[in-house]
Amino acid sequence: MILLEERNRILEETFRERFSRPVEEAERIFLTLHDFDGVSYLVETKESKSIVLFSMSMKCYPELRQYGADNVLVREYGSLFQATPEPGFEVTLRIDEVALAGQDTEELVKKLALLKRNALAAPFEAAFYAQSQGQQTNIMTVNYRDQEAIYVMGFPDRVTVIFSTVFNEEADQIFGRVFLQEFVDARRQPAIQNAPQVLYSAREPPLELRGLRLSDAENIGYVTFVLFPRHFTPGPIREETISRIQLFRDYLHYHIKASKAYMHSRMRARVESFLKVLNRAKPEKPEDQKEKKTIAGKTFKR
Amino acid sequence: MCLENFSSQVVERHNKPEIEAQTTKEALLTPVQISRNENEKVLVEPSINSIRISIKIKQADDLERILCATFTRFLMMRAENFVVLRRKAIKGYDISFLITNFHTEQMYKHKLVDFIIQFMEEVDKEISEMKLSINARARIVAESYLQQFS
Repeated sequence: MILLEERNRILEETFRERFSRPVEEAERIFLTLHDFDGVSYLVETKESKSIVLFSMSMKCYPELRQYGADNVLVREYGSLFQATPEPGFEVTLRIDEVALAGQDTEELVKKLALLKRNALAAPFEAAFYAQSQGQQTNIMTVNYRDQEAIYVMGFPDRVTVIFSTVFNEEADQIFGRVFLQEFVDARRQPAIQNAPQVLYSAREPPLELRGLRLSDAENIGYVTFVLFPRHFTPGPIREETISRIQLFRDYLHYHIKASKAYMHSRMRARVESFLKVLNRAKPEKPEDQKEKKTIAGKTFKR
Repeated sequence: MCLENFSSQVVERHNKPEIEAQTTKEALLTPVQISRNENEKVLVEPSINSIRISIKIKQADDLERILCATFTRFLMMRAENFVVLRRKAIKGYDISFLITNFHTEQMYKHKLVDFIIQFMEEVDKEISEMKLSINARARIVAESYLQQFS
C-alpha cells in the first residue's frame, strides 16, 4: 500500500453498518478514534438511540474558520452541520436516522468519512477561487500539527502550497532529504511531466515566507508545491488535488519510517549471516570428547 | 597471528589481553596501519597474547554515514555472540575486533582470518546495496505520489 487514503475507513464502515440496519434496531454507540495530524473523532448517541452526534476535534479549526471552513462544511453537510459544536470539539454533525430512513445512504457515508479532508479544504478552495479571478491572496497559515504548518498562497497565475516539516531524528532528516530530492527530480520522467513542480529547501524558509520569520533550525525542511490551473480545474480534478496535497506530510513520514524498518530487517539478516560464517571457524568437538551411548542405554564420555 | 598464553605481570594470577591493558610495554609489538586512502584504513595492533584489528569503513556521504553507524551499532550490540568483536570501536575507527590466544586455541586460525576478510568485503557491499535500495524506494515513492496529479 504505497498511497495513503484521504477517507477514514473506520468511520466509513461504522456509519455504513449503522445505516444499513433498520432504525428500530438502532443501538447506543460511543466511539472515539484518532486520525492523522492529531485529529480525533467522537461518535455518540446522546439524546436518543437514533440521533447520532458526530464530533471532530481539530486544533487548527479556528484558523480554518477564518478561511471559510464553516461555509465549506455547510455546503457539504447541509442541515447536519451544527452551529455550536459539542464541548471539547470544534465541529459537530447531528445525524437523525429517522429522517434518513429509506434513502440511499451510501453518498452520506462517504461524505462523513471525509470530514477532516473537507475541513482542511477551505484555504485551498479560497486560493483556487482567487486565482481564477486573477487575484492574489495573503499567506494562509494552517498550523495543523505542533511544530509544522501548511502555507497556502494564491497568485494570479498559480497557487503555491508550502509545507514546513520537522524531522525528529538525524536519520529521519537524511532519509527525508533523499526522498525529497527525488520528488524534485521526478519531473524528468516523461510520464509525470505534468505533475506540479516541487521545490525543497533544507533549513531556509522559501522567499514567499520570509516575512513570517520562521525557524531555520537544523531539523526543519520546507517543501513547496507549485500548482497550475490545470491541476485544479473545477470538478473531480480539483477535489482529488486537494485530498492528495493534504496528506503529503503524512505520506512522506510514513515512507521514511517504512524504509528505516526495512533497513533494520536487512541489517539483522546480514548480522545473522556473519554469525554463521564465524561459527564455521569453530571446529567440531574432537572425537574423544563426544558422548557415546552403549546398547544398554548408558552414556559415557570416552 | 601467533599468540601465546601470557599471564599478567602486573597482577598475580590474572590473565588479561595485553593490548587492552597496555601495562607491560615489552609485551606490545609495533602497530601497523594499512590505508587505501584517508577514508579507508585498517589498524592492526599486535601483542604477545592478543591482537586488535580496527577498521574504518568507507562512507562517502551522509546517507552512507548513517547506514554505517546503524550497522556497526547492530553488530556491536551482539558482540557477545560474535566472541571476537569489541563492544566499542577504537577512536577514529568504525569497528574493532579483539582476538586473544584463547580464541586461537579454540578456533581455526585460517578461518578466523577468512572471517575478517569476508567481513570487510561484505560490509562495503551491504552498505552500497542499502543505499541503492533507498534511492530506488525514494524514486518509486515520488513517482507514485506525483502520478496522481496527472
